[in-house]
Amino acid sequence: MSTLSTVDSPPAGRLRRFADGLLVLARSREYGLLLLIALTVVTVSIKSPDFLDLGNLRDILEQAAPVVVIACGVMLVVLTGEIDISVGSLMGLLAALLALLASADRCAWHPAVAILFVLLAGAAVGACTGLMVTIGRVPSIIVTLGMLTALRGVTILTMGGENIKNFPAMVRFLGTGEVLGLPVDIGVAAAVVILTGFILVLTPLGRRIFALGSNPHASELIGLSERTIKLFVFAYTGFLTGVATLLAVGKLGNVAPSMGKGRELLVVTCVVVGGVSISGGRGKLRGVVLAVLLMVMMRTVLTFMEMGPEATKWERAIQGAFILLAVVVDHLASRHHGSGR
Amino acid sequence: MRALTAKLKTAGWRQEYVLVMLLVVLIGVAGALDPTFVTARAQLKLSENIWGLAILALPMTMIIITAGIDLSVGSTVALATVTFGLSWHQGVPVWGAALLALGVATAAGALNGFLVSKVKVHPLIVTLATLAAFRGIAEGASKGKPVTPLPDAFTQFGDTFAGIPVAAWVFAVLAIVCALFLGRTPNGRFVYAIGHNERGARFSGIAVDRILFLLYSLSGLLAGVVALLYAARRNTASPEAGMGNELDVITAVVIGGTSIYGGRGNIVGTCLGILLIHETREFVRWYWSSDELNLIVVGSLLVASVLAHRLLRFGKK
Repeated sequence: MSTLSTVDSPPAGRLRRFADGLLVLARSREYGLLLLIALTVVTVSIKSPDFLDLGNLRDILEQAAPVVVIACGVMLVVLTGEIDISVGSLMGLLAALLALLASADRCAWHPAVAILFVLLAGAAVGACTGLMVTIGRVPSIIVTLGMLTALRGVTILTMGGENIKNFPAMVRFLGTGEVLGLPVDIGVAAAVVILTGFILVLTPLGRRIFALGSNPHASELIGLSERTIKLFVFAYTGFLTGVATLLAVGKLGNVAPSMGKGRELLVVTCVVVGGVSISGGRGKLRGVVLAVLLMVMMRTVLTFMEMGPEATKWERAIQGAFILLAVVVDHLASRHHGSGR
Repeated sequence: MRALTAKLKTAGWRQEYVLVMLLVVLIGVAGALDPTFVTARAQLKLSENIWGLAILALPMTMIIITAGIDLSVGSTVALATVTFGLSWHQGVPVWGAALLALGVATAAGALNGFLVSKVKVHPLIVTLATLAAFRGIAEGASKGKPVTPLPDAFTQFGDTFAGIPVAAWVFAVLAIVCALFLGRTPNGRFVYAIGHNERGARFSGIAVDRILFLLYSLSGLLAGVVALLYAARRNTASPEAGMGNELDVITAVVIGGTSIYGGRGNIVGTCLGILLIHETREFVRWYWSSDELNLIVVGSLLVASVLAHRLLRFGKK
């Protein structure tokens, strides 16, 4: 059958098969993303070979580190069918907290205590969001939209509109240090990805997250606790936002009241482009990791293609376009495939 | 608590009464703290800030009644503003530039509507994407710089007509039209039907897709109108225009009693919600002269109002 069609397939059939191939690529999101990344790398490095410089690749990975850490958390939230758009403001708040506690200009607490405090505060705020979603039964988009605004206000008020510098060496180490030639932030990000993958694939909790997202009613019937699971994913996201804050502040050594602004959008873009279904229950961690790499690379590409300083102004437009592209491709792929998957 | 809610319900409990009560309390407290705030002169001056939000809240109410949401309105305002500013700068006559801006804004809304109704993507994710995309295009096209000054023939729309700001007239007409549409026409009732049970509405032969498409397009068109009014009043076309407006508008609509789950809400409630948000914001800014505090207040109000709504109406669940 297949040999027949290869022998004398009319052009229309060949075109059809080409379209089918594209759709297969679209459906298995990871291959599509890999292809896009490869295309980007090849195009940019032809124009400016510096792009493939080891230092630049390391730069890209280091920029991706805090993003991928938060994306791991938000991915779990989206898998349960909820959403969290407050991570950017939470990052700002936690950065302000870290700055006030650890900076030599302010309280100058022992850095280890300050770091622990920031991680706990992140988890606590995440848990509050989770409580309002589960016990309060307020839609997560409303809770996190409110948080997005309110937390930014708190951050600006507590910092009084100034930047804070002079962080102790231990905090800087998280962003700039190296262990055996491996940058610490990349190591931490890799650890978080592995931990999240472990939770998703190898623990009952992971299976329950998928179950809850794909059919909330059925999972309630078989006795899964929706509240506990959702509380966990929101608290985990808050905690990971704390981790990402540590990496980012360690890297910059400077905290501005606007820290983390727009981060929520970048992260949601990565999660959606990475192939996680926004209605929950479907998605792969490797897709999200690849999407983070692609989106972070896009930012560097804008500078490498020498499009001038104005080019970065288009960044948000590109992010939005990527989300739209991803959802439209999803739609086409699922329609072509018949009903559902 | 439960007894209280039951009593409130039997006593003809309406969200509107609570809103009016809250408004009276707020004005009372504000008057006690600073009497100059409640003078007619101060209120008239401050009312400049309300009309844009109020106009945006009308289509938002209808969209939320269908169980949808439009996060992109603020960015659409920016897109239309920049379209207007740049095209006028390129030598297009003022009326042409204004029409172009309205056209672009409507197209932006129509894109949302198309993706929501035809491609069946969740409105949340569609408008989150266009929130980024429209603002990004506005920033990219204008290179982040505002266009100013604008021609006098245009900025006069920022003034008053018969003693009342032009924007207020626009709002009044639109509010009456929207209220009549929602309450008195079959298509308006269908909006509620879609929010209650979209599948049921579809099976009853209601043109769900067309209604959704038109509502999101209307949201875009009115964002264009607001963009022109903003530009006229501030005499500048800035890519920052409308930043964060979606939050104020959604908060006002939700406080006004429109259910975020769809199927319930009305224009009167939204008007009261807008008034409440407006007075709160302006008083915080007036008394503590702090915009950051306002972020906290509005963000908390949004969550608190849905929470209160949830606890009072669905106490049984």
